[in-house]
Amino acid sequence: MKKVLFTTFLALLLVACSKDAAFETNPGKSGSITRFAVFQNNMYVLNLNEVQTYDITQKDRPVLVHRLPTDYGLETITIYDNTIFLGSTTALYILDISNPAAPVIQSKSDRLSDIGFSGCDPVVVKGNYAFSTIKVIQNICGNASTQSALVVYDITNKSAPVTLGVYPLDIPNGLGYKDNYLFICDEGIDRLRIFDITDPAMLTEYPQTVSITDPYDLIIDGQKMIVSSKTDFQIFDISDIVQIKKLGQISK
Amino acid sequence: MYSNIACFLSCCALLLSLGSCEKPEQDFFDGFGKKPVYVSLAELQDIRNEAPRPIQLSGTIFLKDTLLFILEQRKGIHVFNLKDSLNTVNLAFLKIPAITDFVVSGNLIYADSWKDLVVIDISNLQQISETARITNVITPALYPLLYNGYFECADESKGAIIDWEDATLENAKCVTIN
Repeated sequence: MKKVLFTTFLALLLVACSKDAAFETNPGKSGSITRFAVFQNNMYVLNLNEVQTYDITQKDRPVLVHRLPTDYGLETITIYDNTIFLGSTTALYILDISNPAAPVIQSKSDRLSDIGFSGCDPVVVKGNYAFSTIKVIQNICGNASTQSALVVYDITNKSAPVTLGVYPLDIPNGLGYKDNYLFICDEGIDRLRIFDITDPAMLTEYPQTVSITDPYDLIIDGQKMIVSSKTDFQIFDISDIVQIKKLGQISK
Repeated sequence: MYSNIACFLSCCALLLSLGSCEKPEQDFFDGFGKKPVYVSLAELQDIRNEAPRPIQLSGTIFLKDTLLFILEQRKGIHVFNLKDSLNTVNLAFLKIPAITDFVVSGNLIYADSWKDLVVIDISNLQQISETARITNVITPALYPLLYNGYFECADESKGAIIDWEDATLENAKCVTIN
């Protein structure tokens, strides 16, 4: 009897441990357009012109511990390789979080002056390269005489990123990558566009696209991709880029 | 707000210099536009479950295991179960007044709600509860998002803005150019 109890106890313990492990290793992920991010025991929140750091050592009791002033127009945050990347309406910020409780601005790359106004500027990072879409928004005075674009930065030196390339887009929103395929929501042409980023200095666009009305943002999860729009979402199998298959969609 | 004003000013400066801008004839606008919908600050604490519903205007998306969280601008968060891609399930709607962004971490959601940061326990997705609130740390947008044109200026003494509705305006003084 004792032996049975002990074995049962051991089994329960193992289940509990594996559950905890799974819980720790899968924190989840957001799309590319968000102003909130969690890193270790800190949470970062973008306010209009500052980055707020909350200590969440005690998960359900956050404490605001740091406020980093920036210019106005912060829009998106992503964390990659122990570094924060911020997309703003005017610049790409790179923040050092060697001390996660107090981020420090490592560099601020102002947009090329000829790109003009922008709105939605999500960033994704892969290795030494950052990919950011810039949306030039139509205004009541007409279109600015510039183009929305995908901008590629070489961030080998995080203190001095270099613009590697600019690729015109229509009305880009969120983006994400799997291996060397970069997917970009282009609301202007109601499509998901796919770029080969094998050579970050010279991207090539695949002729394959996925037709979606007003795509907004996406999350890549293994061989699956979830794409959201203003009022719904769709799920795709992206194991074969040449034949992207739609698996499912929002339940109405 | 500031970036929009800056954008407006620089836009007009640019276009005036190009000579192609139709400058508004009047400083006050009468006609079709948007006006704020307010809730009292007390109502911001009404964080709870509501029946699952369709998405009207999405925002941030977050995937945790098979759960997909989708922001409903200024209203709350939809939760879908994607375990079966072919048959997704609309599981829950979490009402969080005046929310504009969020992140999921473990069994908690951190979200903004007007000027506050709120922490919501989602251990039981069908019975959520607020566990903490830090007041007056967020600067909310006082203009309608994704909208170009005139609107009735926000009056913070009337409460928190949870929506912008179509309206016939009189003497509107505020304008956005996104």
